[in-house]
Amino acid sequence: MPLVAGIDCGSGFTKALVAAQDAPGSELRILGRGRARSGINVDQAAEEALEQALAGNARSDLNYIAATGFGRYNLNFRDIAITEITTAARGAFFLFPRAGAVLDIGSQTTRAIAVKDNGRVNTFKSNDKCAAGSGMFIARAAKYLEVPLEQVGNLSLHAAHAHPISSVCAVLAESEIINHVSSGVSVEDILRGIHDSLADRAGALLKRVGLKDELTFIGGVAHQQGMVRALEQRLNVKVNVAEDCEYVCALGAAVLGLRRLASRN
Amino acid sequence: MRIAAGVDVGSTQTKAVLIGANGDGVKVLSRSLIDTGANVRKAAEKAFDECCQAAGIAQADVGFVVGTGYGRYNISFGHTQMTEISCHARGAHFLCPGTRTVIDMGGQDAKAIGVGPSGEVLDFVMNDKCAAGTGRFLANAAEVMGLGLDDIGPLSLRATRPVKIATVCTVFVESDILSYLSQGKKPEDIMGGVHLAIAKRTMSLARRVNIEPLVTMTGGVARNIGMVRALESVLGQKIIVTPDAQFMGAVGAALFSLEKLGESFESSVWREHAVSSGD
Repeated sequence: MPLVAGIDCGSGFTKALVAAQDAPGSELRILGRGRARSGINVDQAAEEALEQALAGNARSDLNYIAATGFGRYNLNFRDIAITEITTAARGAFFLFPRAGAVLDIGSQTTRAIAVKDNGRVNTFKSNDKCAAGSGMFIARAAKYLEVPLEQVGNLSLHAAHAHPISSVCAVLAESEIINHVSSGVSVEDILRGIHDSLADRAGALLKRVGLKDELTFIGGVAHQQGMVRALEQRLNVKVNVAEDCEYVCALGAAVLGLRRLASRN
Repeated sequence: MRIAAGVDVGSTQTKAVLIGANGDGVKVLSRSLIDTGANVRKAAEKAFDECCQAAGIAQADVGFVVGTGYGRYNISFGHTQMTEISCHARGAHFLCPGTRTVIDMGGQDAKAIGVGPSGEVLDFVMNDKCAAGTGRFLANAAEVMGLGLDDIGPLSLRATRPVKIATVCTVFVESDILSYLSQGKKPEDIMGGVHLAIAKRTMSLARRVNIEPLVTMTGGVARNIGMVRALESVLGQKIIVTPDAQFMGAVGAALFSLEKLGESFESSVWREHAVSSGD
């Protein structure tokens, strides 16, 4: 029984997923997941995440380790490095094979990927030059609003009237947000305005790669229900969100790792 | 002596300047500088009050007050408002005669202004989307490095091998800096790279106006010698900086005040005349 790990070395967090294939040709079975703050040492974060993902299985039983994400080349104990665009497409295809587009919002990057009907990447557009439209924008806003990041999605969902935000820059948004607060706008309405603005930016990227009627939303920000609602309403599409949305790239890496392992044997 | 004031309510700091005019000419009498904070109206009042105290002049003796800067409409005591673009151009024309281009780097904005021969605005560009090139960017970079804002400029001048900074995003540069620190790069080389990246970014913005000499730098970032030198190296010409660079907007506003004061004197004379002739 081959055992593979996919490790996604992101800029914020390192995510590991361990999966097994019970018989040749059978579907992959996920055994465990784990994550750790990336910090400076990629190997150390990956060890920590992998330890959790192994869920009691022995490290020595692992047959293959596929690394992906921003820090993949800094992971020394990898068997292969795969771009996070390829793994995002593959992981999303594994979970939702009908969706032709993937939106990945991580802490520092927003990506729109068009996926072929075989799970390969057709084309992609990425915004990684600045924090506008990224998870970091929301994290900063939450900080200015003194709201724990975990509560952002739910608060936004309960907005009465989304209050638009005009700042694109995560830093310049601070004074705008403070002005909104001091003029009595509710935290819920401000957060929903931020989600709407991010949804519009993501929509512009998605339209450039080609968005049809179904979208798979991955990355840590996909946990925020307000963001999911904003995407559904502003883009008028079905939005799929996996329960473990931040592990989709790690999953894609595991799927591709398994395939590579099979071709090697 | 006619006394006029300019109050520049910036996003980060509020500046006030008093100028006086008599037969000998026009001169700056006093300045004040305070943090704007959350209460813009109060900041403006406090800056004006401190400025009057510094000159030993009663507020009632100040003939006219012009407000400028992003918070200019929140000034309770101002007689009128002017944009900071006009004020920086006017101030630079007065304090640095011959200025044809102003590069203004403030707390949250970066601007380039083309200035005409009599201090009028010919053209301008500004950042409106991004904090790159602003004081906020440099303050953030200093904070990540655990350095004071006043220390990073001189430090950057000691760089021998400036690092390459790929992003000018204020948020992302934090992780760039941390990764260079973890690689053991020297603080001066990191700061050298940061200043150079911002200078390039600012000059690419500034080149959208016609850059003519003399080039004068204004705004709080002009206090940063590293930024001035980095801009000079990218631009390939000397940049003029006066000790009053940070007060340039307020000086310009005060000059406009003085003009208004002249106008109102004249118009009151004219009104008296009109009334008497009506009799």
